[in-house]
Amino acid sequence: MNDALLSLVTPLVAALIVLTGPAMTPRRASVVVLLGSAFSLAAALLALQTVTASGATQTLNLGGWEDGLAIRLRLSPLSALLLAFTALIHLLAGLYARFSRFASGDDFWVLSAFLHTALAALWLSADLFNLYITLELIGLAAVAMVALSGPKAYQAAADYLLLSLAASMIYLLGVVFLYSEYHTLDVMQLASVSADSARTRLALALITAGLMLKGALWPLHLWLPAAHAGAPAAVSALLSAVVVKGPLFILWLVWTEVAPADLAREVGPMVATAGMIALVAGGWAAMRSPYIKVLVAYSTVAQLGYALMALGLLMSWQIPQMHIALWLFVIAHGLAKASLFMAAGEMQGTLGTRRLTGLRGATQTVPIAMFAFAVAGGSLIGLPPSGGFLAKWVLLEPILSQPQNWPWAFGILLGTLVSAAYIFRVVVLAFDRATINPPDTRPHLMGHWLALLPALIVWGMALLGEQLIGLLAGGGV
Amino acid sequence: MTVELLPDLVLCVLLLVVAWSALFASTRRDAMALFVAFGMIVALVWARLGAPDLALAEAAIGAGLTGVLLLRAARKLPVSSARRFDYRRHLGALTFIVVAVSGFAVSIILPSPADITANNIDSPVAAAMSDSGVSHQVTAVLLNFRAWDTFLELLVLLFAITGLRQLFPIEKESLEPARTWQLLVSWTRTLVPLLLLVGGYLLWRGSSGPGGAFQAGALLAAGCVMLRITGMLPPLHWSSFAVRGSVCAGTLLFLCTAVLTHSLGAGWLDYPEAHAGTLILMIETLATLSIAIILTLLVAGERKDLCS
Repeated sequence: MNDALLSLVTPLVAALIVLTGPAMTPRRASVVVLLGSAFSLAAALLALQTVTASGATQTLNLGGWEDGLAIRLRLSPLSALLLAFTALIHLLAGLYARFSRFASGDDFWVLSAFLHTALAALWLSADLFNLYITLELIGLAAVAMVALSGPKAYQAAADYLLLSLAASMIYLLGVVFLYSEYHTLDVMQLASVSADSARTRLALALITAGLMLKGALWPLHLWLPAAHAGAPAAVSALLSAVVVKGPLFILWLVWTEVAPADLAREVGPMVATAGMIALVAGGWAAMRSPYIKVLVAYSTVAQLGYALMALGLLMSWQIPQMHIALWLFVIAHGLAKASLFMAAGEMQGTLGTRRLTGLRGATQTVPIAMFAFAVAGGSLIGLPPSGGFLAKWVLLEPILSQPQNWPWAFGILLGTLVSAAYIFRVVVLAFDRATINPPDTRPHLMGHWLALLPALIVWGMALLGEQLIGLLAGGGV
Repeated sequence: MTVELLPDLVLCVLLLVVAWSALFASTRRDAMALFVAFGMIVALVWARLGAPDLALAEAAIGAGLTGVLLLRAARKLPVSSARRFDYRRHLGALTFIVVAVSGFAVSIILPSPADITANNIDSPVAAAMSDSGVSHQVTAVLLNFRAWDTFLELLVLLFAITGLRQLFPIEKESLEPARTWQLLVSWTRTLVPLLLLVGGYLLWRGSSGPGGAFQAGALLAAGCVMLRITGMLPPLHWSSFAVRGSVCAGTLLFLCTAVLTHSLGAGWLDYPEAHAGTLILMIETLATLSIAIILTLLVAGERKDLCS
């Protein structure tokens, strides 16, 4: 637990140093925040090692009060993994923002460190009200980061803020109903007392609706493309890679622990169906989008469909493979999407256009950024041996073993085809060297290589595949 | 039906009437004035329900500061023409209200078995009060039992002010200062010392009765906002260390307490019992300072305050 708390505190300390420190230029701020992310990553890896070595989930009653009175923090292999993942993404996005030529705004540093703190607090929390506050924190930081783009992004940021607040209210109302029924907010206590009743159902429905709106899960995803496409590239990378995963984590926590198992079994197919529709509808929208970043943003909607599907099937079948698949998807998608957004930002800036057609001949003009885009896209499609392939393989195995489950496999196949379609649409344009769109400026190679880095890591995930599966195989939490 | 119910009934009717008229007011200015009135009635309702902490917070933040914020925002908007209420735009809000009201109604009509058995739900709080360092239950919950929540709430304010700073990218001619209306100036001169006194009292009072950092901070902020909009207080420059330091002070002390109790003491935010009261008072004092400055900047902050 010590290391996990250290991983939580370091980014906050970095942010406070940046806020109060004397003569804090953006350059110095970047050094402080990057060091904070690196320390946080190291601490999270230590925590991961301790918790897997001991093999037991650790809990901490804050303030030393007894259960029910105190807020409990919980460190499981999964939360340690997510801590490390968040720190890694922040480190990669920070490095990109530091060395890329395209500015992310001066306050990017303090805001990204704030976001990191809030996410770490979310992964560790096991208290529904505390989770609500972390959701608010994440929402505020994310909205502020969208606004870093300047006045042209204000509309998207304002919409995001209002929807995010509405989603929080809906979630909070659900928590109020759960509290009035069971008089506790602690997830583990709720897990032992919750029963199937009308009020519990209403509460769970409200919580689910609020979280789906926050996490841009189909059909409540309409705010996402504008917000994610409007932000600076490094911010979009953070928003798509980690921010939308926060509500997903709470959704998973609520449905696998708080909800009675029978109710979860009943609702599971609906969630999985929503995921399947997200795959196809999001992919279709991405395929038809005329703008580069909007395409990437819609692809987030589609890819979250896989996670939603894994969650739904986990709820209805209650088998550990789905748990593994869900979190592998989250990690693989986070890394790949970070790379896609950074590459899109670089290409957009260098070629001087937001339109997809501006990418004609990109393999010649911005080869490294385009390579990053294609490699990360390969993981989204699920080409072996990328992280996306690993996740999809784990997801497909139990589905294919039972003939009555084949319709789900058909959905996944359709989703894969659509993702291949929108990725290849970009790649085909990029190879069109006959009518090249000349770049505005000479490509700035450092940014392009840094955009490639997360994509290389996601392809490297296959090397760690066995360890990752073993780590998540511990089951629930 | 007893006579004591009469004020409650009047309050309920008033609340609904004012809420309705705020929603359907013909001009923006009327709607805002009615919203402030609505906040005051909500505060009275909380007081009637025996929650003076909430009443104070609602009066100071819900009615006072939010009212100022709305009026200031309205100055930047074009004059509104009469608008028609379009139900389709509010379907989401209407659904939310219907679900919430029916959920609560069902809760009242059909209490769950747990309600009947756990009649005294705050008993764990009551049992732990003697070790908490303060004698008021709300303060004990906020600053001790669930101090982590309060810490994160302070971060919410910090995030909000950092976010607000993003909204002043271009040098724009700021609004002409409010005409120095003599009555406002003399009122401010009378009210601000009083607000300071009451804020300090609420902060001190928090350990044994209703009050505490958020209420005290909101009152102090109200005073600062009045001084700021009458021009008696110069701009709070973000670049000055004093401003940034006081914005972060509460969070910093809270964080230091957490880290020190963790590394030297019994655990994360586990106050040593003998010093719990002192620690809580110190945290509340600095938190009051941070809350006051942040709320002032959030409500009255302009480019001069936030980006120079």
